[in-house]
Amino acid sequence: MSIQEIKFYDVTLRDGNHALRHQLESSFVQAYSSLAAGSPSWSIEVGHGNGLGGSSFLVGESLQTDTELLQAARPNLHGIQLSVHSIPGFSTIERDLKPAFELGVDLFRIASHVTEASVCEKQIEFVSSLGAVAHGVLMMSHMVGIEELVSQGRKFVEHGASAVIIMDSAGTYRPEDVRDRVSALREGLAVEVGFHAHNNLGLAVSNALSAVTAGASIIDVATLGLGAGAGNAPYELLAVALGLDKSSPEQFDAVLSLGELVTSSYHQFLPRISPSSVRSGLLGVFSGYAPQVSAISERTGLPAKEIWLEASKRKLVAGQESLLEEIAQDLSNL
Amino acid sequence: MNNNRKIRVAVLGTGKIASDLAARIHAAPDMTLAAVAGRRPESEGLERIAEIADFSTPQGLSGLRDIRDEIDGVFDATSAFDHLTHWSTLQEWGKWVIDLTPSRVGKPTVPVLGEHFPRFGIEDTRTWNYSMVTCGGQSGSPIAAAFARNAEGVTAVEVSSSIASDSAGPATRRNIDDYVVTTEGLLAEISGTKHAKAILVLNPAEPPPLMRTTVTMKARVINSAGLLSDLENYVAAVRNYVPGYSIVVPPHQPQDGVVSATAVVEGEGYFLPKHAGNLDIINAASIEVARRHFAENWPKS
Repeated sequence: MSIQEIKFYDVTLRDGNHALRHQLESSFVQAYSSLAAGSPSWSIEVGHGNGLGGSSFLVGESLQTDTELLQAARPNLHGIQLSVHSIPGFSTIERDLKPAFELGVDLFRIASHVTEASVCEKQIEFVSSLGAVAHGVLMMSHMVGIEELVSQGRKFVEHGASAVIIMDSAGTYRPEDVRDRVSALREGLAVEVGFHAHNNLGLAVSNALSAVTAGASIIDVATLGLGAGAGNAPYELLAVALGLDKSSPEQFDAVLSLGELVTSSYHQFLPRISPSSVRSGLLGVFSGYAPQVSAISERTGLPAKEIWLEASKRKLVAGQESLLEEIAQDLSNL
Repeated sequence: MNNNRKIRVAVLGTGKIASDLAARIHAAPDMTLAAVAGRRPESEGLERIAEIADFSTPQGLSGLRDIRDEIDGVFDATSAFDHLTHWSTLQEWGKWVIDLTPSRVGKPTVPVLGEHFPRFGIEDTRTWNYSMVTCGGQSGSPIAAAFARNAEGVTAVEVSSSIASDSAGPATRRNIDDYVVTTEGLLAEISGTKHAKAILVLNPAEPPPLMRTTVTMKARVINSAGLLSDLENYVAAVRNYVPGYSIVVPPHQPQDGVVSATAVVEGEGYFLPKHAGNLDIINAASIEVARRHFAENWPKS
């Protein structure tokens, strides 16, 4: 796959909102969207870290509503698709998808835990009926074998999704894991395949390259890696790895300008390598739990290590923040 | 008890929920499973339930026309779509119905709420169609009610539930929005705020985890002592009809003006597995509604 064929899918303004504890501001979305015009981005995803309808006590309340964030992005995205992440069970068609479509969202990523693609059926059908584009996203994709992964991806395609994206939500994959999964999806499905990395083990760029080599055409990136846990595949570094600095220096410069903008507003939120993020990556626990785990650890004095280990034993999926509280209680009562 | 005979009921539907309901009715000393109605003669579920029912038919509700005088009321465990036609027939026949589908035709009912929130109780003889809302509604509303009765200036309420993947059937999956909307409607009304949010998460872990529901409320003033005692009373009352209901994370304030607690539901395991507390609580509440409705109405009719 040549760099021209790769669709850079920028999740800075959505996954990055996890790192910002969902305090992303409209004014920043506006500035970022305007600046992105010169980048090679194919699409920019905007919203709460858990996507449409994600603002909650459970995950974290948004500073600004989905509507405010989408309105800030829409008029400034020239030639770049506006997209949203949507998890049925958090979002609904009436409350979230309809208004998002009216605000000018082009692309809807309908997401579920890797075994639960069937809950996305109605949302995908609805998006397709509007004439908008629906992609299916399998979160925590490492939690099943390859055969099951392909079979869940097939459900998305049957419902009408025109691409299937797998997320390494815990940042646990090695490049060969990504290669095997993307290859199997490419062979098994007649649609585009995408990959979404997390950098817990410092392998986000390697994994994204491995996905490209195996035939993935949609690659998720975040400026300076701004995303949940240890962050996503850093846009500027993946761009270098793919030779963008040589093939299109102006576009590459625009990517670095996005980094300057992110640094100037949110430098204190940029993801870092931490023992906790490496541990959660190795254990395969959802990256988005990092702030809750560190807060609980601080409050109760329980080592983060023990909380992560127990979360892994109980096989938590995304969206079970309240169980961390229960885990802390159980561990404290031992 | 002011009635001196058994409650004669029919079950519509032959799926897992209907099978569990039938097993409960069969085990209940004060109830008789007068009939089961399915749609397909070769249905395994129909065959199974027919063994413990006095009468069975593959003709659906219309198959019960000739024996309708043998039935006091009906549990509808079919689909929201079918419930609409069932309800018009049942009205004609003068039968009460407990609707386990998400049709939202009948009155949203949570047995334990009747005392303080009569709109959701059974002690209202004009109601003949009870809607069992959702599992998140049945398990979360007692907590929300205890919070709401001891809070002033409620600005938001949230109920997030996680259930085992294998306890969410195809209809639940396809209609997950109905779950969210119905649960939010109930919680909004109990809490007196229009800002109600419901979240449902499916977890495929093995062994399957028990159903859990966390309720969080934001309010200007929270009276902790009153809240704890109200919750204790509600939980005791729920446990009268759902023995596996308990508070696993007691009320705590994660931040000022916010209170949260988590309940867990272990099923009784009649036909459904014990971890499917989400289905258990609906079935158990249905049986409770049938008993109370009968106690209120039978002697008068």
